[in-house]
Amino acid sequence: MLKLNNLCKVYQTEEVETTALDNINIDIEKGEFVAIMGPSGCGKSTLLNIIGMLDSPTSGEYHFLGDEIAHANEKQLANIRKKNIGFIFQSFNLIEELTVFENVELALLYNDVPSKERKERVTRVLDKVGIAHRAKHMPSQLSGGQQQRVAVARALVAEPAMILADEPTGNLDRAQGEEVMDMLKKLNEEGSTIIMVTHSPSHADYARRTINLFDGQVVTEMYRAAE
Amino acid sequence: MFKNYLLIALRNLKRNRIYSLINICGLAIGLAVFIFAAILTQYEKSHDIFFENAARIYTLGSVLSPQANYSVKEFDGVYTAIAPLLEAEATDIEATARIVQDEYLLTLGERGFYQKIKFADKALLKIFDFEYLAGDTSALDDPLGIALTETIAKKYFPAGNAMGKVISLNFHSKIDLRVTAVIRDIPRNSHFISSLIKDNPLEVIASLNALKQMDEFKLEGNWDNITTGDLTYVLLPSHLDGQWLEQQANDVFQRHASDDVKKFISGVKSRRLQDMNLVLWDAVGLPIITVVMGLGLMVLIIAGLNYTNLATAQAMDRAKEVGLRKTLGAKIGQLLIQFLVESVMITFIALLVALAMLEIIIPVFNDRFGKILSLDYFSLLPPLVIITFLIGLIAGAYPAYVITRVKPVDALKESLSKGLKRSLVRSAMIGAQFVFSVFLLAMVAVVTIQNEKIMKSSEIFPKSQIVTLQKTWVGDIPTRHDTLKREITALSGVENMTFSSQVPFIQQNWTFDASKNSGDIAGKVNLNRIMVEYDFLKTYDIPLIAGRDFSQEFANDMEKKESTVLNVIINETALKKLGFKSLHDALNKSFYQIFRDNEDGKKSRAYVIVGVMKDQNFLGLHNSIKPIVLRVHSQYYETASIRIKGKEFSATMREIERIWKKINPDYPIQVEYLDDIFNHMFKIYKSINIALAGFTVMALTLAFIGLFGLAAFMAAGRTKEIGIRKVMGAKTHQIVTLLIWQFSLPVLLALQVALPLSYFASDAYLNFFADRIESPIVMITGSGLVAVILSWLIVLTHAIRVSSRKPIHALRYE
Repeated sequence: MLKLNNLCKVYQTEEVETTALDNINIDIEKGEFVAIMGPSGCGKSTLLNIIGMLDSPTSGEYHFLGDEIAHANEKQLANIRKKNIGFIFQSFNLIEELTVFENVELALLYNDVPSKERKERVTRVLDKVGIAHRAKHMPSQLSGGQQQRVAVARALVAEPAMILADEPTGNLDRAQGEEVMDMLKKLNEEGSTIIMVTHSPSHADYARRTINLFDGQVVTEMYRAAE
Repeated sequence: MFKNYLLIALRNLKRNRIYSLINICGLAIGLAVFIFAAILTQYEKSHDIFFENAARIYTLGSVLSPQANYSVKEFDGVYTAIAPLLEAEATDIEATARIVQDEYLLTLGERGFYQKIKFADKALLKIFDFEYLAGDTSALDDPLGIALTETIAKKYFPAGNAMGKVISLNFHSKIDLRVTAVIRDIPRNSHFISSLIKDNPLEVIASLNALKQMDEFKLEGNWDNITTGDLTYVLLPSHLDGQWLEQQANDVFQRHASDDVKKFISGVKSRRLQDMNLVLWDAVGLPIITVVMGLGLMVLIIAGLNYTNLATAQAMDRAKEVGLRKTLGAKIGQLLIQFLVESVMITFIALLVALAMLEIIIPVFNDRFGKILSLDYFSLLPPLVIITFLIGLIAGAYPAYVITRVKPVDALKESLSKGLKRSLVRSAMIGAQFVFSVFLLAMVAVVTIQNEKIMKSSEIFPKSQIVTLQKTWVGDIPTRHDTLKREITALSGVENMTFSSQVPFIQQNWTFDASKNSGDIAGKVNLNRIMVEYDFLKTYDIPLIAGRDFSQEFANDMEKKESTVLNVIINETALKKLGFKSLHDALNKSFYQIFRDNEDGKKSRAYVIVGVMKDQNFLGLHNSIKPIVLRVHSQYYETASIRIKGKEFSATMREIERIWKKINPDYPIQVEYLDDIFNHMFKIYKSINIALAGFTVMALTLAFIGLFGLAAFMAAGRTKEIGIRKVMGAKTHQIVTLLIWQFSLPVLLALQVALPLSYFASDAYLNFFADRIESPIVMITGSGLVAVILSWLIVLTHAIRVSSRKPIHALRYE
């Protein structure tokens, strides 16, 4: 699915140069569930953002579905992104001015899906994450767990090949967190490739493979046997 | 505590340099325009106050009756017969003085000058305390005494000591005037100098008795004509006021004026001396002072709204500071004071900048327009400080209120509520700014196009090819008209030459009454007469649509005092007004003069229509087309018009001057280009346009500066949303559309208000012109469109920048 070769990300300010990612080499196959772990500031989110094409690497190669895209421009990236990747964020990132339904619909809207089909697909996916009864509510009227479910629905609705989750449970309590993790696991079993950044070892246990980062470098990789 | 507020305020200014700059500049421009408008109106309203009796001096003007059908509503003067009657019948009046002014040829030995002279009753020197460098208030007791201003005395007598010297006035015969006083030049802010109507500053004062000796004036005055600029002054005792004077003057008018006069003039009006320099604007019915002040205020309001809007946007950035202060125990009141202190401080910085701007602008303005405005800080500062303080409070109140309302917990989290980002109040403020801006823009467009129309319709006459020689009636010049014409027309560069009583664009109406049937007083109509010479139509390119041009072959083409039958050429309007149905019906038919009481020799006279000319606007400008009758009458050849052909313009002019000097060695040549005659009147409309354009540029600049700043803030406020949308796959143009729409709504709503408003205002303005633009709708919608497109462009620059950035910039949240 994707392959990172000698990937580096360097942030430069006037005085200091910070290396966020240092020579990363990762290979992720279709259908994998990967957890990225590490202490704060180790570069987890930076790595996920680059994988998600929200940011570009300073050097190195990034092959996505066989194409080298490390140096693609924003327009090309946006095209690949909207067809293949769904995002789930720690802070949900729902648009406050739109209803639950409209938030989910957004992903299809920008993919030029006709209105009737959009409606069917949004309804189906809201049903799937169990939030259909809240379709007409505004995000601010929902609990954190419910908001994250909406975010998951939004990530799913365009049926992406890969879902990226940046600490999806970070802002949730334990019960809500587990609910979301169960949902991700189920999605993976249905065939979605999932890459997740997390602080929580117990949530990382849901993944088949865990990558540990420290100071921008891959320290260890661990595979779990299928249950 | 207060020091802490000031410190924070200053640091904030420094931190947000760009926005501080926009804020201060915007407000400074608004304040500068407002202060300037205030100084200007104050200046215009305080003319002549340096005269000791200023508060007790009034002038009398005439109100035209509606049926007079005249292009102005009132005259600045009254019939010269009124003042003596008033003084005799309203005995409480302290003094009255009339001025009759005209230009005469003065000679001092070899040298000759055309000089505008104000002939006055001697009481003028009692009413106005001129400053005497020589002589005194008795200067006009001698019927042939004259008072000169310092500048004129130096011009005529460079060697000094003008007192007692003799200056000859050349009229039918020579009259020797004697200098009996030299007065200091009148300050510029006097109606004696700055009147817009005529360029005739007070330079030489002579006695009306001199005019009487020349047989040009009777001391008891007349009821025949009112000449613009010939004023009647009245000095009242301090216990009486203008209203009393107006009553008395109207009583005199009603008792003595004939019915014919009353048909033309409906009454007399008194006016404070202070208001005299604005009399032109009263006459055309344009309340210029109110308009200027209104525009100044409008710009200030725009600047204020602008400031409030930007400050509110900027306050959002301060939410965290507010939250922290609240957590540390600050009360809402204390926070309000903090923000208001900041706001007032910014307005005072803006005031300083505004005053600095004015220190530069005012001297330039004075130089350009011959005024003496000044920044008198002593009287200006107290009101300005109060106004600025109020602006700071009012403009700062809304942002202060909004920001201090934020809950500490929200503020600390920096997740601002929706209300802060898109508030109705702020959209309304943008809308209001646009209402003003579009309104001003539309007015400028309408005034410009109407001016173009006036300009264009003036081109029916070959304006740029015509040179006029003025004062061709003076002294014995008329005896050499034929020689002059013969020699000038012989020049290769001259196409044609003609004499006439009046040339196009001169704002004079000489009229006579006539009717289609002899003696039909009930059916009489008022016709304009222009006295011309044979080649008049050819020189001015006026086409005949029926009949023939004047010719020396027909004896009856030339008018003499005793003519009973006279051939004339009339225009289409006169034809209709006289009641002829068609050209055919009118040609070679007659109409008959109805003599007025004051016209001597009450005999009959028939006018035979030998030609009909096309309707052309002879007076031009705002006037309607008058019914014109052309009559050939050599006694009225006041001006010569020479049409010059080819490119050798200046060479031809030199030749003409040479011929004039040879034929009329005793008289200086008075050349005026027809273009200049037109421009002299046209400059009034032009100056309206320039003033309006100035205000508009300011208003638009402010509105767009505001929009620019606000667009930046709003885009910043929606950064996260934009990021999410981009992650969801939104394209740049979709984001741009989203942002532009947000601004379009208030702008489009503003148009709904501004467009009808502009329509009514411009319609009222256009109604002043007889030949007006049919409909101002194109200009108005065009202005609206320009405003919308410009605002889109401004928002677009932001939108593109924001939406083309990598989405991660928008989503970084830790």
